[in-house]
Amino acid sequence: MVFNTGAALLDAIVLAVVSMEDEGTYGYRITQDVRRVIDVSESTLYPVLRRLQKDECLEVYDRQFDGRNRRYYKVTSRGMAQLNLYKAEWKTYIQKINAIFEGGVTA
Amino acid sequence: MNRVEFLAELERLLSGMPEEERQAAVQYYADYLADAGEENETEALRELGSPEKVAESIKADYYGTEFDESKFDHKDYMEKYGQRTGGNGQGPNAETGAAAGADNETGEAVASEWDARKKDAPWTSRGLKILLIILIVIVVWPVALGIAGVVLGVAAAVICFFAGLVIAAAAIMISGVVVAVTGLVLLVIPPAGMIVIGVGILLFVLGLMATVGTVKLCVIVYPAMLRGFVALCRRPFYGKAVS
Repeated sequence: MVFNTGAALLDAIVLAVVSMEDEGTYGYRITQDVRRVIDVSESTLYPVLRRLQKDECLEVYDRQFDGRNRRYYKVTSRGMAQLNLYKAEWKTYIQKINAIFEGGVTA
Repeated sequence: MNRVEFLAELERLLSGMPEEERQAAVQYYADYLADAGEENETEALRELGSPEKVAESIKADYYGTEFDESKFDHKDYMEKYGQRTGGNGQGPNAETGAAAGADNETGEAVASEWDARKKDAPWTSRGLKILLIILIVIVVWPVALGIAGVVLGVAAAVICFFAGLVIAAAAIMISGVVVAVTGLVLLVIPPAGMIVIGVGILLFVLGLMATVGTVKLCVIVYPAMLRGFVALCRRPFYGKAVS
């Protein structure tokens, strides 16, 4: 993609991806899901997940899988609020951009 | 490099971080690679890049510094270790995929470039220092020029003052001679001539004494002034030692 994905947008995408699973989801899958929509490197997502966890937008828990503990990420209520804020911001953002792209200069 | 080696290396590289952070990061990548599956291990490791890159991305975020991925642009880490992975250029990242098609040399070049950048880091601050010095010089220069002018003026005044004393004393001496000679002419009226000659000789002697005195004064004062001036000039260069 020619457009850069800023930190806030990346946070929003990660929150959205994680929020799609009620039970929560795990690192490898989050990476795969995010990489389906935007081109980020595999090592980009851990710091994002860790930061969102520290900001209490995500919570983690370990669950047995295949004879080992797998760490799951789940969106907290705070994370949901943050995601909704991002979604609202995104909506006004793309509306403005679309207006310029498709309807010329807006007032 | 396999999964175990990658994780061990990552753990080692994160040794400067708090234990909790380190464990969380290593746990995450252990999970990640386990979930990628053994059959995809080589591919997953190649995509992750070097442990150095991964460690840097973790540390950069934790310490709030900017992580520049372009420094680690090439995903040819595995190739660097001589494990050729076939089918380059697949995956969503076409650019990086293409770059990964480069041979071993590129990998080492990138690694050494990264090393070079790390070494270059202090240069930025040195450049800043030089800039600061230049700015200071620009600001200080006119002020220094003014001060130098004042110092030079005072020095000239002092030097000329003592020279002036010598000249004045010599002038008294000369005028004494002139008066005495005038007195000789006036000897046609003996009492007046005698008085004038006497005054002239007195003036000459006084002038002589004053000249000798002022010359001696100059001999003392000028070398002292020169020494003082030299010390003053030295001061800026040995400023730290003096103060």
